[in-house]
Amino acid sequence: MTIRMMTQAQAAMNALQQKLDSVGHNLANSNTHGYKTRNVEFQSLLKQHIDNLTDPANNEGRQTPLGIRVGTGARVGSTNSHFGIGSMQTTDRPLDTMLLEENHFYQIQVDNNGILETQYTRAGNFYVTPIANGNVRLVTSDGNAVLSSNGVIEFADGFDQIDINERGELLVTYGDRTVNIGQLDIVEITRPGLLQAVGENNFRLPNLGELGFDQNEIVRTTDGNLNLVQNKALEMSNVQIQDEIVEMLNAQRAYQLNARSISTADQMQGLVNQLR
Amino acid sequence: MTPLFRGFYTAASGMISQQRRQEMITNNIANANTPGYKADQVSLRSFPELLIQQMASHRLPVKENVSQRKTHLVGPLNTGVYAQELTPNFSQGTLRETRLPTDLAIVDGDYPDENGGVFFTVQAETGEIRYTRNGNFQIDGEGYLTTNEGLYVLDQNGERIFTDDSNFHVTEEGYIDLNGTLIPLGFTYITNTNNLTKEGTDLFEAERGNAEAIDAANSEALFQVKQGFLEGSTVDPAQSMVDMIQAYRNFEMNQRVLKEFDETIGKTVNEVGRLR
Repeated sequence: MTIRMMTQAQAAMNALQQKLDSVGHNLANSNTHGYKTRNVEFQSLLKQHIDNLTDPANNEGRQTPLGIRVGTGARVGSTNSHFGIGSMQTTDRPLDTMLLEENHFYQIQVDNNGILETQYTRAGNFYVTPIANGNVRLVTSDGNAVLSSNGVIEFADGFDQIDINERGELLVTYGDRTVNIGQLDIVEITRPGLLQAVGENNFRLPNLGELGFDQNEIVRTTDGNLNLVQNKALEMSNVQIQDEIVEMLNAQRAYQLNARSISTADQMQGLVNQLR
Repeated sequence: MTPLFRGFYTAASGMISQQRRQEMITNNIANANTPGYKADQVSLRSFPELLIQQMASHRLPVKENVSQRKTHLVGPLNTGVYAQELTPNFSQGTLRETRLPTDLAIVDGDYPDENGGVFFTVQAETGEIRYTRNGNFQIDGEGYLTTNEGLYVLDQNGERIFTDDSNFHVTEEGYIDLNGTLIPLGFTYITNTNNLTKEGTDLFEAERGNAEAIDAANSEALFQVKQGFLEGSTVDPAQSMVDMIQAYRNFEMNQRVLKEFDETIGKTVNEVGRLR
């Protein structure tokens, strides 16, 4: 029976540990461009129903239904990403971009051990990297190719200037000639709750067909004529440091309190053992 | 059963009931950060009273061996205590801002009944109706509003709520505004919340306790809904700590009494009856 107290507190401490992990992760990424805060919320665990004296005389004045329902602790109920937009930081770097609408994402191509996979990111700090034949490719800070509506964006080296306009079109200037290389393929994810964070600021969608979801309903193409991009700027993370600190202190104290429950339960067990 | 042993079991029942109480406190502490959690309060109750009668006989002064039964009332006695009920404290929890559009909190207003309460209506796996105050909701892959357990949140007509796009706004009156289309969220007014039973994972059930559940829109209950907020639990950590210390000491006292009994029995067995 004392064991129940221990497991209740232990379950809650595990959950709190996960909360602290998430707070630590948020704080560590408070300066990561395009990072989205993750919130951990708890949920109570199952109840155990215990029947006790059912003598009618003894149930006089009772307020609740018969029996007692003893809870078994708490667990992490949800880890939700907060997809609200972060504040803008102007950088004056031509290849820095920021998406102006919530739930819009750049598509990138990630080489996963030889298998090419499309992932999504909101980090708009792009680079060009040289490839074969004197060409260059537009990539993210990790070297993953950024996708346009026509696939990977590649163009000839030796340019004088690069610009990304507010519609996400890549304009490259060679001397006095400006070429429109392609438009960034920005998509809207209508159910951002489905996105899985894969690290390096990227998100992936699970296999939607397997889950029985309609891919076209979840990943929607955006209207290429709209101004969806701010260039020479980056989106800061939407982590609110003060909120995270408060959450951290709160979780820490709750952790302590649960630890006290365990030591009290232990002392009670000690008392039982001293009976003889 | 000798009177000596009667007290022995009384002390044991005291320990068991304090343990139940401690289990409840531990569970409250474990759920101190669970949204919409309602803290339990324990009511201890003594066992049914027994009427104690002294039985004796005295011999009549006649030649034949005749004796007369003689009884004498000692008085009522109860032989222990047990945890009779755990009553959730349905008062309003404090609101906490999360900024997530799918987090909703109910703010209690004026209710026509003393123990009335308003709840979100959700559909359990079995199709039955359950009630919750944990408004930590999500939008699933198909676009329906669910709890973080994946149970569908119902609207006023008992239908699932389809949220087509991520532009999800909830008015204070409890309507989901989807680009002008208003869907009324399903709120249930329980006339006497004490009749609800806790089912775990923050759900309440009305059938077992025959709680009267009516559509909140048809009742005189006044309440508000806050989007981007969660209702905190009604657990008071300071109160829980004090209760924990009290329950522990009470447990200890009962243990002392039990040990005292043990020593008395020891004396009876080993010293009173000793032959030299």
